[in-house]
Amino acid sequence: MMRDTIVGRIPNMTSGRGARSRRKGDAKNIIEIRNLVKDYPLGSTTVHALRRMDLDIQEGDFLSIVGPSGSGKTTLLNVIGCIDHATDGSVKVGGTEITTLDDRQITDMRLHRIGFIFQTFNLIPVLDVRENVEFPLLLMKTMSKTEVRTRAEKLIDEVGLTEFVDHRPAELSGGQRQRVAIARALVTNPDIVLADEPTANLDSVTGAQILDLMRTMNKIEKTTFIFSTHDANVLKYARDIIKIKDGQIVKG
Amino acid sequence: MELILKIAWRNILRHKGKSLIIGVILFLGSLLMTVGNGVISGMDHGLERNIVNGFLGDLVIIPGKEKSDNVLFKMYGESIDKIANYKDIKKLLQKEDYIAGFLPIGRNVAMILNEEEGDPGYAMLLGVDFDQYRRFFPNNFESVEGRLLAKGESGILIPLKHREDVYDQMNVWLIPEGSAVTDKNLSDDARKNRKYLNVKHDAVFMGMSDVYSSSDIRLPVRGIIRYNALNTIWGHFSIMDIESYRRCLGYFAASESAVKVTKEKKKLLEMDSSNLDAMFGTTDFVVADTGKADISGISFKRKEIPKTSGDVDLEDGAYNLILVRLKDRVSLNRGLSKLNRSLASANLGVRATTWKKASGFIGSMATLIKGALFVFVMFLFLVAIIIIVNTLTMAALERTTEIGMMRAVGAQKGFIGRMFLGETAILSGLFGGLGVLIGVIAVKITPLLRITSDNDLVQLLFGGDTFMPYLSLGDIAVVLFELLLVTFITVIYPVKVSRGITPLDAISRD
Repeated sequence: MMRDTIVGRIPNMTSGRGARSRRKGDAKNIIEIRNLVKDYPLGSTTVHALRRMDLDIQEGDFLSIVGPSGSGKTTLLNVIGCIDHATDGSVKVGGTEITTLDDRQITDMRLHRIGFIFQTFNLIPVLDVRENVEFPLLLMKTMSKTEVRTRAEKLIDEVGLTEFVDHRPAELSGGQRQRVAIARALVTNPDIVLADEPTANLDSVTGAQILDLMRTMNKIEKTTFIFSTHDANVLKYARDIIKIKDGQIVKG
Repeated sequence: MELILKIAWRNILRHKGKSLIIGVILFLGSLLMTVGNGVISGMDHGLERNIVNGFLGDLVIIPGKEKSDNVLFKMYGESIDKIANYKDIKKLLQKEDYIAGFLPIGRNVAMILNEEEGDPGYAMLLGVDFDQYRRFFPNNFESVEGRLLAKGESGILIPLKHREDVYDQMNVWLIPEGSAVTDKNLSDDARKNRKYLNVKHDAVFMGMSDVYSSSDIRLPVRGIIRYNALNTIWGHFSIMDIESYRRCLGYFAASESAVKVTKEKKKLLEMDSSNLDAMFGTTDFVVADTGKADISGISFKRKEIPKTSGDVDLEDGAYNLILVRLKDRVSLNRGLSKLNRSLASANLGVRATTWKKASGFIGSMATLIKGALFVFVMFLFLVAIIIIVNTLTMAALERTTEIGMMRAVGAQKGFIGRMFLGETAILSGLFGGLGVLIGVIAVKITPLLRITSDNDLVQLLFGGDTFMPYLSLGDIAVVLFELLLVTFITVIYPVKVSRGITPLDAISRD
């Protein structure tokens, strides 16, 4: 019923330039959201963060979710990224229904299929650049030490931080830390990378560099990137754009 | 595991203040536990060494009628029943291959009569065949005045401590016959009254028995002795030759001629003295008066010093206890159960007990102090655990962003838990291990300092005259186990908190 008021099959209906190009390739959906509801209790009232949202995102996309503060951007990313639970509805990531998974399964999902780039460049402070990038691979325990190191160093090289490989996060600039976060997000070769306002704490030049890097990595690694922003300057980097307002996707 | 330990170790270095707080608590706790265990073990070992080797042996055979196994420190007025069939018991003991030796002794209390209308004194007596006694306990005391008892000689050896007690009770200063007052051995009170000291070379002892008719006998003091260990405790026990002891307590002495007891009289003697109906209620009560039966009650006539026993077989007379020493490598409990089985099957009317039970509060003192120290240490550890739990929990909450981010990129709850466990384990291993190490060194060094005490309670704590803390490998293992337990307990709640941190918590905090 609510689907009448929101935009379904979003890539076809948003203004993103990539929508057309991907339609050419007939790419399959990496994310399928149906009737998604997310409510937060707040004292005696309930905040309706997402209101019966439907959304499909295609594999390999470079998609931006935009909207004002409190519109539900971060909540949507959190639900897609298996960080938060849906109150109702269905969310499939790479064909897996994530709303029914237990904690262990959902953690595995985050480890193997999702990469994260947070707003505040969350790295492990006691590990250096190489160790931070290696961290998810070591959790996976599927590769030898040599393979882990080779893979991590490849990603570190791609984000341009080879000379800082032994530096701890505290010894890096904000932009460098975000590059490390990008490398770490991609090191497990995930289906999607989620970035919540990745440039919010960076100056405009560094922010542009990070977005360029993300787009480059999207091309190199063929990984779907979904990032949220409320910065209009960032939108030009997006191939597709979803606009959210009051927990619903709106036509742009 | 390598990754966990790497992160744990670096986090310890990163949070030096908190790590130091936890580390110092673990260090002090471990040190206290180690030293405490060393003191307790030292006390345990010291008491065992000094009591077993110098006073009681491993096991003590006591009369079967005794209600309590505590035969060493019975209340005054409670006498210990006699063992009249020592020779039968001896035959049995000689056949037991786990027994290294045994010694029959008398052990009761006597009153020291004051011949000048003053208060009487009291003596805790050990009645022994002195030759046998010295063979059984070759080095447990030394003579400080006079001499020791010659073979078969009657007399009494009085410890320094007991002489002071007698002076306090009776105002009489006992010295060995044929000797003068040794000023250096005077007690403070006696020294103050040096000019008016009432010096005596002998005393009249009257056995205190609630069953038998005791006698009063005059005995010369042959020597003043000092026990080599726990003198302030053992110093209450004077050593009397066994024949004098028997006369004093009203037992049949070995030197007395055998008494032929008629069937009727034997029956009378075996009757319960408190059961008057049994004694007077039947026509069987016909006693042949041989004139020799020792049922005449307390004699108030002071006997002269008995003659020496000569070639009399001392083992014919009565004893109260038989001290038993086990062979090496025979455990106390195993020896006890074997001996009790043998004694029971032979129906000899006696039973065996351990030196710990026989020595009453002294034997159980180690257990009591151990318990008290354990409670004290556990209380300290409880406080320490609360502080450590609080510190670790705060650390977990302060690291919500880091932990939440780890969870976001795929770390399972178990990984986070192991990371915290790893941090605490490293701190525990380093600081706790250091505490144990320093504690062990302290325990090893302390005996070299030869710290001694004359105080009764302190001597109990020392387990002897000298402070000799001791740690076995087992004790160290116990300390390490306690440390492990504390580590585990302290980490439970912080791990629970850290496992509960979600990626959403990290994002919300941002």
